[in-house]
Amino acid sequence: MKYFYLVVVALFTLQGGVAQNYKFGKVSKEDFNKYKTPASPDDNATVIYRSQTINFEYAPSKGFFQQNEVHERILIHNKEGFDWATKKVRIYNQSAANSELLRNLKGYTFTYSNGKVEKIKLKSEGMFEEIANQYWKINTFTMPNISEGCIIEYTYVVESPYLSIKDIDVQYTIPIAKFELEIRTPEYFKYSRILNPRATFIPKIEESESERTVRYTARKEESTLNAFRSLKSGVSQTEFTFAENIITVDLDNVPALKIEPLVNNLDNYRAKLVMEHTSTKYPNDIAKYYSTTWDDVTKKIYEDNDFGAQLNRKGFYTEDLETLVGTQKGGDTFKKAQAILNFVKRKVKWNGFVGYTAENGVRKAYIDGSGNVADINLLLVSMLREAGIKANPVLVSTKSNGIPLFPTRQGFNYVICLIEDTGFTALLDATSPYSTFNILPDHVVNWQGRVIREQGSSTWINLSGMPSSKKTVSLNVKMNNDLSVEGKVRTHLTNYFAYSYRSVYAKVTAESHAKNLEKNKGDISITNLTVENDTDALQPLKVNYDYKLNGAVEDLGGKLYFSPLLFFGDNENPLKQEERIYPIDLGFPKTSKYIVNIMLPEGYKVESLPKSEASKFNTNEGVFSYIIKENGKYLQLTVNIDFNTSLVQPADYDAFKAFYTLITTKESEKVVLTKI
Amino acid sequence: MKHKVLTLLVFLFSSSFSIAQEASVYSAYTISSNLKDHANTVVRYNDIAINIESFDKIVYTNTRVVTILNKAGNTKTGTTVHYDENINIKKLEARIFNASGAEIKKIKKKDFEDISAVPGGTLYSDSRVKYLKYTPTTYPYTVHFIAEVEYETTAYLSGWSPVEGFYISTEQSSYKVTNNSDVALKVLTKNLEPYEITTHGKYHYSVKNIKALQPEAYGPRFSTYTPMVKVALKSFVMNGVEGVNNDWNDFGAWIDNSLLNGTEELPDAIKKDIQNLTAGVTSNVDKARLVYKYMQDKTRYISVQVGIGGWKPMLAQDVDRLGYADCKGLSNYTKALLDAAGVTSYYAIIYGDRNIRNINKDFSGAEGNHAVLCIPDANGVYTWLECTSQTDPFGFIANWTDDRDALIITPQGGKIVHTTSYSEKESVQDTKAEVVLNGNGTIKGNVTITTTGYQYALHEGIQNRPVREHDLYFKDHWDYINNLSVTDINFTNNKDVVVFTESATVNATSYAQKSGSRLLVIPNMFNRVTYTPTRYKNRTLDFEIQRGFTDVDTFIITLDDAYSVEAMPEPVNITNKFGSYSAAISVDAAGKLIYKRTYMLRKGFYPKEDYASYRAFIASIVKHDKAKMVLVTK
Repeated sequence: MKYFYLVVVALFTLQGGVAQNYKFGKVSKEDFNKYKTPASPDDNATVIYRSQTINFEYAPSKGFFQQNEVHERILIHNKEGFDWATKKVRIYNQSAANSELLRNLKGYTFTYSNGKVEKIKLKSEGMFEEIANQYWKINTFTMPNISEGCIIEYTYVVESPYLSIKDIDVQYTIPIAKFELEIRTPEYFKYSRILNPRATFIPKIEESESERTVRYTARKEESTLNAFRSLKSGVSQTEFTFAENIITVDLDNVPALKIEPLVNNLDNYRAKLVMEHTSTKYPNDIAKYYSTTWDDVTKKIYEDNDFGAQLNRKGFYTEDLETLVGTQKGGDTFKKAQAILNFVKRKVKWNGFVGYTAENGVRKAYIDGSGNVADINLLLVSMLREAGIKANPVLVSTKSNGIPLFPTRQGFNYVICLIEDTGFTALLDATSPYSTFNILPDHVVNWQGRVIREQGSSTWINLSGMPSSKKTVSLNVKMNNDLSVEGKVRTHLTNYFAYSYRSVYAKVTAESHAKNLEKNKGDISITNLTVENDTDALQPLKVNYDYKLNGAVEDLGGKLYFSPLLFFGDNENPLKQEERIYPIDLGFPKTSKYIVNIMLPEGYKVESLPKSEASKFNTNEGVFSYIIKENGKYLQLTVNIDFNTSLVQPADYDAFKAFYTLITTKESEKVVLTKI
Repeated sequence: MKHKVLTLLVFLFSSSFSIAQEASVYSAYTISSNLKDHANTVVRYNDIAINIESFDKIVYTNTRVVTILNKAGNTKTGTTVHYDENINIKKLEARIFNASGAEIKKIKKKDFEDISAVPGGTLYSDSRVKYLKYTPTTYPYTVHFIAEVEYETTAYLSGWSPVEGFYISTEQSSYKVTNNSDVALKVLTKNLEPYEITTHGKYHYSVKNIKALQPEAYGPRFSTYTPMVKVALKSFVMNGVEGVNNDWNDFGAWIDNSLLNGTEELPDAIKKDIQNLTAGVTSNVDKARLVYKYMQDKTRYISVQVGIGGWKPMLAQDVDRLGYADCKGLSNYTKALLDAAGVTSYYAIIYGDRNIRNINKDFSGAEGNHAVLCIPDANGVYTWLECTSQTDPFGFIANWTDDRDALIITPQGGKIVHTTSYSEKESVQDTKAEVVLNGNGTIKGNVTITTTGYQYALHEGIQNRPVREHDLYFKDHWDYINNLSVTDINFTNNKDVVVFTESATVNATSYAQKSGSRLLVIPNMFNRVTYTPTRYKNRTLDFEIQRGFTDVDTFIITLDDAYSVEAMPEPVNITNKFGSYSAAISVDAAGKLIYKRTYMLRKGFYPKEDYASYRAFIASIVKHDKAKMVLVTK
């Protein structure tokens, strides 16, 4: 084995000689002068220096433990930047032996006036510790004497008994002028690393190796690592030598992470380094692998007692299942699956916790009637299988959990169910009352899922290949002499349109439902509201009502003007930005169709109609058509708007905005009538 | 048998009713249908019993049965108990019943969730909370909750509000304070008659069958029209500090002596700084202006709720050294600075809330959620300082602590006074625009918006937002204009006279709609009311406009030469008790159109019968604001 430890040391020494002094506490007037003007007016603060050092120490009483040291020096430009002077550090805090610890917190605030740098120390009065709940405590500190243009500097160490390394943020929402990272891991612990490929900033990483010797005073009864005892026995002073893998990152001018509206999770675009602990191998011991490939990850999860084993617990529901679908293995798969899905939805309610491992266990969840995501969906898989339907669990990462960057167990945080029976495939999630075959809650529809088949083998499945959702609205319009209009609206919603409608309106009274429909439609009153299939998630949702709208028609100089779509259509273009950095999330592919039938008032004829028009965006990703026809005393308008994608790329933003602008402009165009 | 009757009689005298031991109170089926109307939650039985053992010991017992009818009612079980080092939870348990009243679960004290009672943004607080966490499997379900809590801090006694909130009906509720000590009590009752509350004694009340209320737009503050009983000890202790509370005067004196006294010391060097800063300035207001600026530049707001139940401010010298504190610490620090400048000021306790909320002038006690500073002048006029803001103009408090009763702490004791109100005449938004409308419907031009008074508070925030949000702010302000681009944005904040000016260049393609050879133009381009208040078939609540304002608009429009006006909206003039509205278009000598609009809304409190006419007023403004003119090619 070769070691390259000298190279790194040399580099650091060289830099220290010519450049700024980043040593803790050594803030000079150069720091103030060099960084006092922010690079962009939106930078409320600038990180002059951020360094993070992660390594593992050894103590005979506890073995290897992790030390994660953070050091930051920040210049605060303005009052909006004062928030950077308060820092919260989340510390895992379960029991004495399984807790992290914040140590060596030190900090200063530096101010510069009349050519002099002055400092004030962060004391214990500015440090707070709070037990947030049974798992976490929060250490907060706030720097003293903050003013515009001051520099704060602090350092602390988080000591952890765990081998897993928390994600390292390389990018903040303010710029970082100098960034240094060093991670040293003993050869016994293997990590794979990855940088967020979605980030617009990709840092460069260097790797090397070095040798390290640990010395400690061992009392034999306390020694935990038998393997090492033979190294130097018989004396109280013991030592052992091992190799360390070193990762270093050294960056200048890391740009600020830009915030934008209509982004599902900004963290997906942050430059960060993720370290996944993949295996442990002590000398003379066999290696324990955690995860190196998605197959490994899946296998590990499957072997977890709170996952795979849950699928085999069945005695408690046998009787209920028989009542539900009979004892025959055959029969209509779809009908059986539907009955079981509805039963599980009814029987076990979601307690709001996510996770791919059972919290209570399926049996307890079944009896108590409540459980987390895994309790519910693993029960669903188990019951479907017992009824003779081929069903498997699918590991998922929700939108807020981000997109997993590489094989890691933390990459998943949710589990759903996949039916793969002869001629019938469907994804199911029994945690949401209105979810049904292939209609999953929005937070689940993120990237792809990992199906685990019965033998533990696994494969990817696309979650965003959802069926297109349809909305069909037919609108009858009769125009009255007092410039009001009245008529009927029939709405037909499928899939996600129906899902989101049900999620909002299923529980409200007819009265407040009508009130909500009246919102943003002008001076309208809605009556005879009927809703069909409001709870049967498999059927299209139908919402029908009568309306009367005052002031829909304008009499301007004896001519009548009105927009034939009345209160439908987007009057406001949501794409207000001039340019775009991240993709736009449209939720789901959709088709909307409006069919409007207008009976013209007696004594009037059409003077002008909006032009019929059609347009497309990015070949067929967006399709729009507006067709209006005069037919005796009737006007007929058909508007079609299809979005055959759920994500619009920033490169297509201008074209998409133009497409959307055409839609909103067209939808607001007026028909003009004159007296005969 | 005889024995039983006797017990029953005793029971009747001691309490108006007792919790029924039979399952009927646990069954959701026994709720009468009028209590289910518009209800998500039905309080079946709620009994609060408070025993005052001495001035420093109170035992609070709550027995409560609540039926939750649906998911929306889930957060209204009322099964939360706050505690800290002076509040000891002796007993806590809950049982859950299904719809028919069969017990399905029992939750012991140790199974209640225990979390820090820290609101978002607070760095630290020693207050904690235990609450029942239960995932219902079906609705309705019923919770039977019992809590017994011992207080060694007695400044605040749990009161009684038998109408607990919107969508909550009440089957039976009672409240009783038993005084086993020699401490005198005082009591305040409100709105008991309209709800037919039975009074059994000075400290003992009960009620049956109150239907659920629903919220309505512009409704007054809930507590102003619902029943309430409050009781307080005239001698109390707050986290070990004894006090008296006969009225605001002596409660204020207690705050002064026990909480503020001794916290105002400043190092001599700082006093000297202040004296130098204000040297040569004669008027108190001008001195205070300098001191306020000094404080704003030196400090920032940090929420740390410690020190005598979160009531004692940080020491002024610590605030000076650390440069941060919460509202109490910053107000008290500013007071100390003003003292050094020889300017008298009073520490003040208030409700900081966008909705106007008064400190109850008729009932002294631990009230308020915020502290500010008040500077009196010789004429009895008060200047109010919001000390948690680094940017507010001197003496400006609109939209957070304006127009409400506050408690000021003077050397003569506490006193309730009213804060600055911003009238509709002072609260002006003046929008001026000059645009060119070309033949394809595009408008181009410049807009300037000037705001004062309460409207200043609504607008000035944008100057501190990131630059990338500035054009989006205007696009939201004029969300009815599509295809808008906003450039050359400029903000001027004149804090001395409290005037905020925004100016920008705007461009909107297809602003005017083409219909054949005609162009439809809405002349009110930059200040439309688009929202009509909700319609109620039967309005049940009175309504309130909390703040008045005036909008004045002048838009000058140059038309494309190829077009002439075919039709134009008629001038409008509406005046009523709510306010006034006028809009008119004229043509000047150069052929430019001049659109002028004024909309004034008064602050006011109106009976529910007036709601329909108020709504009609706003609806007509909405209509006139989008009135169109028609241009036709010459």
